[in-house]
Formats: sequence, structure tokens, C-alpha cells
Amino acid sequence: MIRHAFARAYLGLILIFLYAPIVVMAVMSLNASEFYALPFRFSTEWYERLFTNDEILAAAWRSVWIAIVVAVIATCLGTMATLALWRHEFPGKRLLQALLFPPIAVPWLITGTAMLIFFFGVGIGRGTPAVILGHVALALPYVIVTVFARMQSFDRALEEAARSLGAQPLTVARKVILPHAAPGIIAGALFAFAVSFDQFVVSYFLAEPGDSTLPVLIYSAIRKGFTPEINAVSTLIILVSMAVMVLAARYAKFGGTR
Amino acid sequence: MADGGGVPAAVGHGVLQPADGCAFGDREWAFTFANYAQALTNPTYATLLWKSLKLAFWVTVWCVILGFPCAYILARMIKGRAREVLFLLVILPFWSNALVRVFSWAIVLRGNGVLDRAVNAISPWEVDLNLMFSDTAMVIGLVHSYLPYVILTTYLSLQAIDDTVIEAARSLGARFPRILWRLILPLAMPGLIAGAVLVFVPVVGSFMEPRLLGGRVGTTYGTLIEDQFVAVFNWPLGAALSFILLAVVLVILAAASPALRKATS
Amino acid sequence: MKTILMTTALAFVAPMALADEIRVLNWQGYGTDLDWAIAAFTEATGHTVVHEYFTSEQEMLTKLRTNPGAYDVVLINSAFTPQAQSEGLIGPIDAAKVPNLADVDPALVANEDLNAGGALHGVPWTWGLTSFAVNTGDFPEAPTSVSVFWDPALKGRVSIRDDALEAVQFAALATGQNINNITDMEAVKAKLTELMPQIAAFWSAETDWNQNMAAGQFAVATYWSGSAARSMSEGLPVAFVVPEEGAIGWLDGLSIPASSTKQDAAYAFIDWMIAPDFYVKWEAEGAPATSNTAAAAALPEDSFNRKVLGDPATVARVQFMRPVPDDVRESYLALWQELKAAQ
Repeated sequence: MIRHAFARAYLGLILIFLYAPIVVMAVMSLNASEFYALPFRFSTEWYERLFTNDEILAAAWRSVWIAIVVAVIATCLGTMATLALWRHEFPGKRLLQALLFPPIAVPWLITGTAMLIFFFGVGIGRGTPAVILGHVALALPYVIVTVFARMQSFDRALEEAARSLGAQPLTVARKVILPHAAPGIIAGALFAFAVSFDQFVVSYFLAEPGDSTLPVLIYSAIRKGFTPEINAVSTLIILVSMAVMVLAARYAKFGGTR
Repeated sequence: MADGGGVPAAVGHGVLQPADGCAFGDREWAFTFANYAQALTNPTYATLLWKSLKLAFWVTVWCVILGFPCAYILARMIKGRAREVLFLLVILPFWSNALVRVFSWAIVLRGNGVLDRAVNAISPWEVDLNLMFSDTAMVIGLVHSYLPYVILTTYLSLQAIDDTVIEAARSLGARFPRILWRLILPLAMPGLIAGAVLVFVPVVGSFMEPRLLGGRVGTTYGTLIEDQFVAVFNWPLGAALSFILLAVVLVILAAASPALRKATS
Repeated sequence: MKTILMTTALAFVAPMALADEIRVLNWQGYGTDLDWAIAAFTEATGHTVVHEYFTSEQEMLTKLRTNPGAYDVVLINSAFTPQAQSEGLIGPIDAAKVPNLADVDPALVANEDLNAGGALHGVPWTWGLTSFAVNTGDFPEAPTSVSVFWDPALKGRVSIRDDALEAVQFAALATGQNINNITDMEAVKAKLTELMPQIAAFWSAETDWNQNMAAGQFAVATYWSGSAARSMSEGLPVAFVVPEEGAIGWLDGLSIPASSTKQDAAYAFIDWMIAPDFYVKWEAEGAPATSNTAAAAALPEDSFNRKVLGDPATVARVQFMRPVPDDVRESYLALWQELKAAQ
């Protein structure tokens, strides 16, 4: 039991580390100083200003729905790709696996310009469809790597057993493979959401003027800088996500069962 | 598969340089290796690449050291709803903007900042704690940004380990350290490696955390590339620098792959 | 029923035909995108305004090159106007369509760079200085020389912007050289090498400048006059200094892309932007200096731009920035990167 207490304390410390900047972000959204100066003085000014700032609200909403669409598409495509890589041997498989890493390693600036040229070349041009495609391309490797790591632990004997009992391939996929992959798929979707939600360069290059996402709004404010209104909107998004996640955790199991 | 169009187009950036050095416009495109020659011969670039590789190494090491126990506890010692909630809590901080998070770290780390005040509030003697603009600040910011990758991928491997295997080992008289070393660690390896790669690869090219938290010492290979794109708009050279980085990263991954394959099989 | 619909539709379409939506390309938060200004402009003219932003001059040029027809008004620093003009990105200004141009300082209208290609290609809008500001907590009395940057007592509390051109020109000022014709690069290099250990961080945006100043991490840092005015108006305890060695001056003009299809609306917007009404209100929030002498005269006595930049003795020390050839720019960058990498 001492081991458990120690473990919990360690987990607590890691969570404190992960949440330290988030808590600071939230606290600073309620601090009167525009320059995030201490000591703290309470003020709801930034929230009041946020609720009349249509530009930030529209950008935040756009970022959220784009991230949701991207997470859904990238997770579906990524999971299918992973299953193909994991189950089958085919020519060029090694190469395809190696090609997963460049999108992560290549600075997003390059990817952004390359995508701009590419999308103009194939006639898609700028706009929200291009932004979503670009985000999906960047999120895919994260999904694939995550789901693949999970599938490594799958016992193929289970699949053989199911099949020898007469299960159809689709039934095997639905009842045996997907349940095992589920935690990886969920984690992949969460990563995909995070990648899209925080993606600046691709949105910056590919979005139509006036269709900014939140990161674009924040980064292009580089000369003037952003105000704690950004903290306020970020805090609200985190709080809503937290509420949604806690609800989801109540009604679904995705941490994986043993 | 992933990003079929983007990467080859970007390779073209480095090699196909418009005659007058601008990345765009109706200009003649000419094939040249001059950008690569320039990138490879300038000692400044080599210095910074080495610095970035060291930085990425240490960030990865810290992520693994901090992340593995965390994943282990989450996967093996916590059960039921609590685990579900914690699993989500680990990734939730990243549903926010990286720049805002880095500015928040600045508020924590600077002199007379949150950490300084917190430590002085409980410390019996006066401590002058200013971590801002240092290697430490850079590593803290980067470890924070990438730790969840290691935790979650390692978790996925650990969680899939069958309890009966560990029970069997225990019933044969194996002690915990031995089980950990001989059984759990090898089984967790695929996840741990996936996580480490997801940390190492982007950190080599990172520029925002170093720039804002590293201050004077925060010049990295990533900031160098960013300068080529943003400050001088020498995109061909920026692209060449990026692909040298990519090549170095792929060589490192390839060199490590026999060891990695052994570890994961 | 159909006729009623038609009439209603026409009633909406008719005034809309005269009202255009113009697209403005500028730095974010740099005057043209102020809510109240756009609202007043739309109310007065019917034209609506959409903004797109850039984060560097080179990016602005790229956007003009790659998106012909997308923009109607663009802010261009005079050091870049000749390049934009020579590439055919912007068209000449028809002075008759900008009535307020009559009040603009003739010296600025005659600016050599704005008149690239022999005709005015940018309406002088604002100008300002790149100099430095000090934390008044550390400096009850503002310093008069750039030598404070090299003061050993301030080691670790000094900052300059992470910009090769600005850094080199700053060192050129400190070594008593002409910023547009630096003859002794060795002196510049030596001066910057000496500066490096003093530096806490290289700032990159107003946000981090303001925060680090507010937190006391910086005591002295290079800054833009307009930004300093804004920081002061927002209550930051800083003072802007134009040292005896001089300062770097810059001039921003508003241009119309050659590919713009809504030139009339664009002219109306530019005229609105250089008018005294707009400027006086903007100045109260912190703005760079205006090109319009009538607007400058309408400022309150104690305003920043009147006090600091209105002083002829100050203006006499300013060296205005000229276009910098690409190869020179790249040699500065190489030096700057070498110095930073050595840290």
C-alpha cells in the first residue's frame, strides 16, 4: 500500500507539472494586468472584452470544429492505414512506414508552403477544405504511430481463434481487433485534435483572409501582441473540453480493459 | 498515405531555386545544389545542429524518465473510472495554444515569478530563483510540451500486458525489479520507442520554446530555419537546411533501428 | 409575389453595387484594423473592410506576388517600396483621389523611396523611430547615450530585437556610422560581440517585450516609438530615449496593388486613414507619428508624438532607413547568426 501511496503522489506531481502553465493561463485570464504582471489583481475585464470580441469568438469556434472534423477523418484513415501496415506484408511497406516521420520532422513552415504550392497545383486552392486536408495530413502520422504501438501487443492467436470458430472477417474486426485497438484509436484521435487545434502554419498559409483560426489570430498578432482575452478563451475551451471528457469517461470505457 | 504531396514539393524547394532567390512568382526555376553547399559548409549551422541534437536527446531522456513511471502507474496500478479520467487529463493541456503555454511558463519561471514566489513563501531563507532565459527553462518547456506522447504511447503498451504473465513470473519467485527489467520493460518497449521518436523528431527542429524561454542561449537549428523563412525569406536555403535536418534525423533513426527492432521483438 | 421579391432584392442590391469590400494587408493591430475606425469608415462610405496580416515585409511581398487581385490597400515600409514598385506589384497614386494628401508633410511626399520609378507609389502615412526604452524603475533619470547597453551593471537585463538588420544598424549608430552605408563592419562586429554577454534575451514581439519589461527582466531594450507610446498609454513604466548617437527612422506608406479591382474604395480608405480625425483618436491609444501636418497640429500638447518626436533637435539626429540590397541583408544575417550561435 505504501507503494500505491507513493505512486499516487508521483502521478499527482506529474499532473501538477502538466497543469502548471494551464492554471497560470487561467489565473492570468482573471488578472487585471495586460502584461501578465504580478502581483495578481482580480478582474473580469478580459472575459467581458472576450464576449464582445466577435473576431476571437469566431476564430475559436472555427478552430474547434475544424479540429473535430480533422480528428474524425484522421482517426478513420489512420486506423485503417495502421491495420493494413500491421496485418499485411506488401511491397514498399518499409518505405511507407519510413515516410511517416518526415511530416513530423519537417518544420511546419516548409510543409505549409509546400502544401500551398501543391494545393494550387492540383486546383484545390486556398480555403477551409484545403486547411482540413492539410491538418489531416499532419495529424495522420500521430494517429498511425499511436495505434500501431497499441497493435504491437495484439495476440494474433485471438484472431485465428475467432476465425476458426467461423467468424467473418468483418465480425473479427469489429469484435476482436477494434476493441483491442480502441484505447490507441482514442489516444490517436485526441492527438489529432491537439495537432489540428494548435496548428498555425498550415492554417496560416491555406486559410482565406478573414477565416482565421485561433492560432493564426494569436501568431499574426506578433507585432502588437495578444491580450489576456486569449487566455480567457483558451481557459473556456479547456473547461468545456474537461466537462465533455468527464462525461465521456462516465459513459464509455476507453482506457482499455484487461 | 500520409502527406503524399507536401514533402516532395518541399524537397523541390531546396533544389529548384528560382534564379533570383525568391520562392514565388513567375520566375525561371533553375536546378542548383548551391543551397545545400552553403548549408553544409557554414560552421554556424553545424554548431547549431549539434546543439539541437543534444537538446532533443536530453528532452527525450527526461520525457522517458518522467513518463515511464507515470504510464506504469496509470496502466497497472489504477483501475476503473479514475484511470479513464486520468488518461484524458494527461492530454487535455494540449488542447490549448502552444504560444500561450510558453508565455505561461515564462510567468512561472522568471525571477519574481510564480515559482520564485512559491519557493520563497515556504523556504525559511531567501532564495533567488530565476530560471528564465536558460537551458533549464528550455528543457522544462519542451519536456512539458512532449511528455504526454511518451506517457500515452507507453501506457498503451503497458496496459495491454496480460496480468497472468506477471502473476506467473511472481509465482516463480521473481522480484519486482527483475519483473520490471526482464518482463515489463521489454513488453513496453514498442510504446516507449514510439513515444521517444514522437518527442525526439520534432524537438530537434523546435524553435518557439527555445526562442522565448532560452533567451540569449536559445538559438537553435530550428530558430535558424525559422529566420530563413521569416526574416530573410531565403526559402530555398531554409528548405535546404530543413532537409539536412530531416536527413540527419532519418539517419539517426535508421542507425538506431537494429537496436530498436531487437528491443521490440 | 414575384415582383415584390424582385423589388426587395433590388432595394438591397442597388446600394450594395456602390459599396465594395476592400481587403487591406497590414501588420495586425497597426491602425487600419481598429474597430471604431472601420465602423466609422463603413458608415461614411458604405465600403466594408477585411484585413489580412503579415508578420514580415518579405511575407507581405510574397503575398502580393502570389495573390494578385486579393488586396486593395497594402502597408509598405518605404525601404521596400522600390522593390514592390520594380516588380510591378503596386500602382502609382493618383493624388487627385486623395484630398487629404494636401496636408501631408511635403518632405515626406517627396521621399525618394516612396517615389520609386519617378511617381508616388505610396501615400506617406506614419513614421517613427527604432531606438530604445528604459524601465523607469531602474532609470529615474533617462540615459542620453546608447552606451547604457554596454554598462556592466546591467548585465543580463539588456535586450535587443532578434533582427539582423536592426542589430547591425544599432551597432552602426553606436560606433558613429551611417546606417545606410556601413563602412567599418569590423567595428560593428566587435561592438555586437561585446554586447552579447550583456543580453538576457532577444525579443521578437511587443507581447514579450512588454511582459519582460513589466516583470523587470529587462532594464533597457531597443524598441519602436509607436510601440513605446502604446506601452506607456497602457501604463507600463518605461521611457523612450532618442540618444545623442541618433536613432533609426522609418516611414510607412499606404499603397494600392496594381491588381486591385476596387481602386476607388481603396483611395477612399487611404484618404480616411491619413485624415486628422482618425489620427488624433488613434494617437490617444498609442500610435506612431503622423505624416499629416494638420493632424500633428491637432494633437494635445502633452501627447507622446508631440513631445518626443515633435522636437526638431530629436528629428535632426534621426537617420532614415533606405532600401537594403538582398546580399547585404544576407551578410548581416550571417554575422548575426554567427554571434547568436556562439552563445
